[in-house]
Amino acid sequence: METVLSIHGLTKDFGKLRAVNQLNLTVQRGQVFGMLGPNGSGKTTTLGMLMGVVNPSAGQYSWFGQPPTPQLRKKIGAVLEHPIFYPYLSGQKNLELMAMIKEAPTENISKVLDIVELSARKNDKYKTYSLGMKQRLAIASALLNDPIVLILDEPTNGLDPMGIAEIRDIIKKIAAADKTIILASHLLDEVQKVCSHFSVLRQGQLMHTGPVDEVGKGEELVEVVAFHDDLGILLQEFNGSATVKREQNHFVVMMKDGYHSNDLNRFLFDKGIVASHLLTKKKTLEKQFLEILADNTKSKV
Amino acid sequence: MLQLLKIDLKKMTSYRTFWIICGLYFFLLVVGAASGMELLKWLASIIQGFGQAININRIPLYHFPDVWQNLTWAGGLIKIALAIMTVISITNEYTYRTIRQNIIDGMSRKEFLLSKVMMNVVLSLMSMVALFFIATITGLIYSLELDFPYGFTGIGFFPAYFLEVFAFLSFALMLGIFLQRSGLTIIILLSASVIELIIKAKVDNYFPEIIPYFPLESISNLVPMPFARYAFQEIRDVVTLSSILIATTWTLLFNYFSYLKLEKSDL
Repeated sequence: METVLSIHGLTKDFGKLRAVNQLNLTVQRGQVFGMLGPNGSGKTTTLGMLMGVVNPSAGQYSWFGQPPTPQLRKKIGAVLEHPIFYPYLSGQKNLELMAMIKEAPTENISKVLDIVELSARKNDKYKTYSLGMKQRLAIASALLNDPIVLILDEPTNGLDPMGIAEIRDIIKKIAAADKTIILASHLLDEVQKVCSHFSVLRQGQLMHTGPVDEVGKGEELVEVVAFHDDLGILLQEFNGSATVKREQNHFVVMMKDGYHSNDLNRFLFDKGIVASHLLTKKKTLEKQFLEILADNTKSKV
Repeated sequence: MLQLLKIDLKKMTSYRTFWIICGLYFFLLVVGAASGMELLKWLASIIQGFGQAININRIPLYHFPDVWQNLTWAGGLIKIALAIMTVISITNEYTYRTIRQNIIDGMSRKEFLLSKVMMNVVLSLMSMVALFFIATITGLIYSLELDFPYGFTGIGFFPAYFLEVFAFLSFALMLGIFLQRSGLTIIILLSASVIELIIKAKVDNYFPEIIPYFPLESISNLVPMPFARYAFQEIRDVVTLSSILIATTWTLLFNYFSYLKLEKSDL
């Protein structure tokens, strides 16, 4: 696999504050790479360094195995934090200007405006756009020069559910076109839905990095509902139960290693109980994320 | 280089404020420069004895070769209006954070600065050309006799005027890059010569010989005030090499400081 981005010991100090601390990361071609972390964890600062607007205090990074140059940035589409455009220029003119800077063919402008469905409003001034339209124009601008890598920082920030779904569709469409995407977000659900790999940052430090698929591995959680008065006690007796919790109208059993929901089902059946609801739940990224953060807090103390 | 200029032109030509300020500036430059005689008549009408003591029609304000220095000096008075445009142009980039996006999109910081410097060159050149036309036309109208090449004496004030405007715009650009806020920058820009005046007054008591090396002094020193000659006083009516050298050095320094600041800052 081709390495798109590799970061070694990247560090940024703002006065006394260490915003990014000794960061090491690699992103491979074709990955949709999610960067997770609470607000202020150093995601945007890291992306700022990768795009040449923030000078690193220490460490290096390379795109495609080469040291970074402005020329290389022209082939990367990036939107950091919020959309940035000249408010007094129309969407069309803003993109024309950007095409001049990026040395992109001008016929791409109408193409990307179509992708984000902004063609109808392209001659209106940017300052008249709604937040969703601004975000969409930002994505259009990132796509302008047929980028090989796309960097999106909180692309759904402040959007309504419909806007979020629209942006997510656009990202999926782009990812399907064999582009590498780096997506910074604090919305875990969003990352789980679109990303193939993810990393977790906290206070400028890398806490975890790995594929999203692995998130579900490990202990299984099983939701159980059955018409039996002592179901809770019975579930405790089952050899495979690590913990049993009652949640609203069902029980949640965390299975020990090696036990699965079918074992639990057989156990109940042997006791003469038929479950009316038996659901194996994968661990969500949210849970994993909170665990990663919690583990590291403990180890720090 | 040309591409960088085109980028800044693209930013500016759809910006209404740019047209208003530049329109006002060039209007003032052309009309102001051409109405010197009207000004004299007006002065004569309000100041008693002004018209009797000197016959205003005999002041060769627009005669070749006086017209060159007279108009380049007068034109230098309103360069502040153009400098305000430069300040707005650079501080907008900080307010809208578009400077950040320009770099993200693949400009180097140096290219970004060059695009602004190129724009300053163009504005200064346009000022010089506009003033040259007015001077030539008024000179042809008012001069009693055309005596060339004597009439071209002092035409060197035009390149000096260009340097004066460009140096001042470079100063304004540097202030904008350091202060980043338009209001603050404009206030500092307006008060800079007053501040320098106070310092100069102090310095004058001890080391009067270093006064020509002050930045704003060196800029206005390129084209010295000519009108004292009509009161039979000696004036400097040539461009001196030392004034060019000092002002050029400052201009290079202003732009170099801008470059250093841009390279070092996180955007």
